[in-house]
Amino acid sequence: MGGTAVAWLRHRKAYHQMIEALFNQPNMMAAKKLLDVSVLRHEAIASNLANLETPNYKRLDVSREFETQLQQAIGTRDTHRLNGMTPQIGVDKTAVASRRDGNTVDFEKELVHLNRNGVEHAVESHVITGALLKLRLAITGRAA
Amino acid sequence: MINALSGVDYAASAMSAERMRMDVVGQNIANANVTDGVDGGPYRRQQVVFESFLQDARQIQAGGASPTGVRVSRIDQDTRAPRMIYDPTHPKANKTTGLVAMPNVNMHEEMVDMITSSRAFEANLMVVKTARTLAMQTLGIGKR
Repeated sequence: MGGTAVAWLRHRKAYHQMIEALFNQPNMMAAKKLLDVSVLRHEAIASNLANLETPNYKRLDVSREFETQLQQAIGTRDTHRLNGMTPQIGVDKTAVASRRDGNTVDFEKELVHLNRNGVEHAVESHVITGALLKLRLAITGRAA
Repeated sequence: MINALSGVDYAASAMSAERMRMDVVGQNIANANVTDGVDGGPYRRQQVVFESFLQDARQIQAGGASPTGVRVSRIDQDTRAPRMIYDPTHPKANKTTGLVAMPNVNMHEEMVDMITSSRAFEANLMVVKTARTLAMQTLGIGKR
């Protein structure tokens, strides 16, 4: 009994790294980041729909560049680089005002974005769940 | 940390602003035939002006734009001229011309305003529902 405790202490760092490695595979990390993007984008859409009729309001979004940068980072399989990426809300420069009050929010498009973002969030959380369940299967030897 | 129910604050602020607008529309419709307003002349149409506002200082994000809530900044009086109708029997009629100054409320405009307001309210309600769905999906991570 005491032997295992000593072994644990001696190899604590190694164990720790092993556990970390389980949860920090590049794909898992990317899914986590995308989940962050979804939640942040929901916040931006909430702001856009709230300001549907505020004169001169400019539409906000998480820039689509983040997704391409993330894709490149996944390609390198560098977990540190992935971990360091933080999505940010910015003004959507591609949106143009279709009304005279300078507001760039399009009601219908915004509702589509809202729903699409919800589906994306569902997919991402599903991917993470799948990875976790596979890990559990590997550990316990039976499907949970 | 990201708020568990992201975007709900913005939606809530917008919903209360829309409710205020609905109040003002109701007031306009109720007073559509009032020839003796509080300031002596016929009732003048009121309209709300929306503005964005930051809900707290933490929302100011470095480098990026921040999502904002909405509130009613002021209630303006419509400066359009009163509607003149010919009705010599009216107690408020001009003795020589027989014209009565009626409020500058246009019932069709008010109806359109009411529907717009109601739709905007529904859109914000949708944001709250979606935020809830996202939160439930996140809580369900790891469960099959």
